[in-house]
Amino acid sequence: MARLEILNPVAKTVEHSVAPARRPPDLDGLPIGLYWNMKAGGDAALDRTEALLRARFPKATFRRYTGSVGWLMRHCTAEDADRIASEVQVVVGTTAD
Amino acid sequence: MVELERRGIPTVLFTAQTFVHDAHRSAASFGLPGLPLAVVPLPFTNQKPEDVHRMAEAAFDQVVAGLTKAVEARAVERPALEERLAYEGDDLLDAWGRLQADFLKRGWGDGFPLVAPTERAVAAMLRGTKRAPGDQVAVLEPGFGIATVEKLAINAVLAGCGPEHLPLLIAAVRCLAEPKMYIRNKAMSTGPHAPLVLVNGPKGRVANINSGMCALGPGAPSASNTVLGRAVRLTMMNVGHTYVGVSDMDTIGSPVKYACCCAENEAESPWEPYHVTRGFPKGASTVTVHFVYGICELHDFRSTTPEDLVRVFATAATNVAQVGTGLWLIGRRADPRSRTEEREHNTLFICPEHAQIFHKAGWGRRQIQEALYREARLPFKTMMLNKEPQAMAAAHPELGWMHDHPDLPIPVVEDPGCFDIAVVGAAAGRGTYFYGAGEPVTLPVED
Repeated sequence: MARLEILNPVAKTVEHSVAPARRPPDLDGLPIGLYWNMKAGGDAALDRTEALLRARFPKATFRRYTGSVGWLMRHCTAEDADRIASEVQVVVGTTAD
Repeated sequence: MVELERRGIPTVLFTAQTFVHDAHRSAASFGLPGLPLAVVPLPFTNQKPEDVHRMAEAAFDQVVAGLTKAVEARAVERPALEERLAYEGDDLLDAWGRLQADFLKRGWGDGFPLVAPTERAVAAMLRGTKRAPGDQVAVLEPGFGIATVEKLAINAVLAGCGPEHLPLLIAAVRCLAEPKMYIRNKAMSTGPHAPLVLVNGPKGRVANINSGMCALGPGAPSASNTVLGRAVRLTMMNVGHTYVGVSDMDTIGSPVKYACCCAENEAESPWEPYHVTRGFPKGASTVTVHFVYGICELHDFRSTTPEDLVRVFATAATNVAQVGTGLWLIGRRADPRSRTEEREHNTLFICPEHAQIFHKAGWGRRQIQEALYREARLPFKTMMLNKEPQAMAAAHPELGWMHDHPDLPIPVVEDPGCFDIAVVGAAAGRGTYFYGAGEPVTLPVED
């Protein structure tokens, strides 16, 4: 019997931790953000989602967002995220994949 | 979405079934493993609006639940990482076979047989650098892996490198970790992003990095090129945690991703070395990493003037099916965290014979870049075939007038400097055009 002992090639990782946001019990009356990163098709998904949300939560209001930087995918900067967080109370996002 | 959750905003993200694992892994890397998803059967891209609508309708209850049901705060679960692994068999070859099978099962290999990183082999590898084994070279995304010198040495052994290659690998990994590289995007993409590694200077020659015949391999003259390029990929996997199907979501993949490495043929170049154009002294040793997609040959046995050669080269550059072609119209690759932006570059390896045609006519790199910029153009309507008009409106609202001029010739890159030029190869008029992803990064090789 032979034994081959080796060193593990896999690196340890730096861990991050973010607490999830507290959810509201109901969406009616809330300002809802719809975020699209501009990948094809994502806008159509948000169009339909907005229509369904309006039907179920008639007092909700809606704002559309995309990131201020990027190319095929437009990304949120910290300033974008701050602005969105100041304007709506929940966000539905689509990155199209 | 994680950044919004951090700000107290509940989110839910549409995700195609095939990307669910990737989405969970990505969210966990950023510290929120339970990020709610609304899972749909297919990506929305290339779908008709009515089909997208049907998928959104089917996922609507998940959208509402994701925004209203409490999300459990929990720590990211990581399996314990043993520092040493042992394999037993009837003999050492049998044990080595079990190592191969186990590594493939865990997703740690590239598919080719791996060299066993025994303690003795790693100790020998570490003699290739003056740095201490525990020194941290970088934190490598997308997995935020801690790239110590020892972990790089282990992966260098796995790839078949010798100690002379380790300083080059360390430099390459530092390039990967530069904020300007935005490796997270390139490592996790559905596109076949491959790190092209170009070595300049005396340390490349010491490490036997081939710059001449068949420099990109395969074969014995390019053995060092092969193992160094392979070590970069294995490091992306085992240190950066870029694992296929987990965080590398490449649609088809590419043979270029296994290993793509060579040196510039400085001896046969009529121009200053490539790294001098990147701001380094002529005698310095450097490694440049440029992520690239595909390769096109620059074949021309017939032309004898720079103008004719540029016309041929331009046909390679005017390929709208390649994602970077004309991409500047819809913005710049950008990492919002580091506030970096990249122009889309393409790298040309010009063979010595073609380089001499340019040189004898008094052309340097700048003249080639400018001529190629003028020659490599496509009609606006062709350039926009695969680009989102709304993205162009967001990136360049001042260029909306182009829609009224569909036949207007548009340059394939943002400016002439987006063509990077190095001299590589042996005899005969055949170069290589690399369709690039973002900008190259060049750093010095340290002992």
